[in-house]
Amino acid sequence: MTGDLSHGTWPWVALILFGFLPSEIWRTLSIFLSRGVDENAPILGWVRAVATALLAGVVAKLLLSPNGALAAIPLAGRVGAMAVGLVAFWATRRSVLAAVLAAEAAIVGVGYWVG
Amino acid sequence: MRVAACGPMLIVSASLLGVGGMARAAGFSLESAVASTLLLWAGPAQLLFFSAVAAKTAWPAIALTISLSSVRFVPMCVALLPMMRTKRTNTLTLLLAAHCVAVTVWAESMRRLPAIPRGGRMPFFFGFSVMCFIGTTISTGVGHALVGELPTPLAAGLLFLTPIYFVATLLRAAKKPVDWLALLIGLLIAPVTQALAPEGFDLLALGVVAGTAATLIQRALDTRTAA
Repeated sequence: MTGDLSHGTWPWVALILFGFLPSEIWRTLSIFLSRGVDENAPILGWVRAVATALLAGVVAKLLLSPNGALAAIPLAGRVGAMAVGLVAFWATRRSVLAAVLAAEAAIVGVGYWVG
Repeated sequence: MRVAACGPMLIVSASLLGVGGMARAAGFSLESAVASTLLLWAGPAQLLFFSAVAAKTAWPAIALTISLSSVRFVPMCVALLPMMRTKRTNTLTLLLAAHCVAVTVWAESMRRLPAIPRGGRMPFFFGFSVMCFIGTTISTGVGHALVGELPTPLAAGLLFLTPIYFVATLLRAAKKPVDWLALLIGLLIAPVTQALAPEGFDLLALGVVAGTAATLIQRALDTRTAA
């Protein structure tokens, strides 16, 4: 099952069969799972914590084993830039924008420094 | 809302520039790269998909990886949908809403919906989602067109938008210790679960372990305050 990905129907088939459907099935399932669940149900506290932790896992993956251009930045640089962003976040009374700008300045700075 | 939601929309759009670039590197056309944003609607899943295709991974393995990374939409949707649903909400609306759930939309909604009267929650959610869809559709295409033109440090900066934005938004949305504890414990145990859990299942293991630990700590804190 291979084909030319740059044109024709194969990229669409691949995208829908191996990307969209395996992902969408969970979103669809969650509608039925959330049926009858009250907004204030105690179980939702745990569900929300698991959701947050899963996102932390995604972040950790991007920090520890990144793809593409980010892999050109050493691990210490990636973790350091994240730390810079967090310091800016707390220093500005929890501004998301300040965190993003500070971390971006740090990672791009490290990129030019090591490059 | 227009002013309040612009920042997150711009950040998520900028982070999708990198996805467009990855799609081109994997051999996908501009149209299918843009379609991946509309269909998958999850930056990390798109990055996984295109990097796996570029590495010539077997298609069933790609499907499994994507599916495992998207299990996280179950807790996200189950936490969010009951906040927006009214008695008149039909299944089609819920299907559309569930499709719109991704980290930016989720985190902003979890943060802002409680302050909005129930009848206005769904409109806020879809309004914000549509803004994000428009912004990211454009940026995926631009990223696809621009890849290779950007120097490596700037390209790295684009890919770094996702992790820093995730962390800052989740901390911003945190109300109780459980919220930032789940994040902190998740980050700390990531190297352990990556080493110990079977390939592909590490994220799931991390979510359940860190989420449960954070919930238990919160419960202990609550008991102590009550006593």
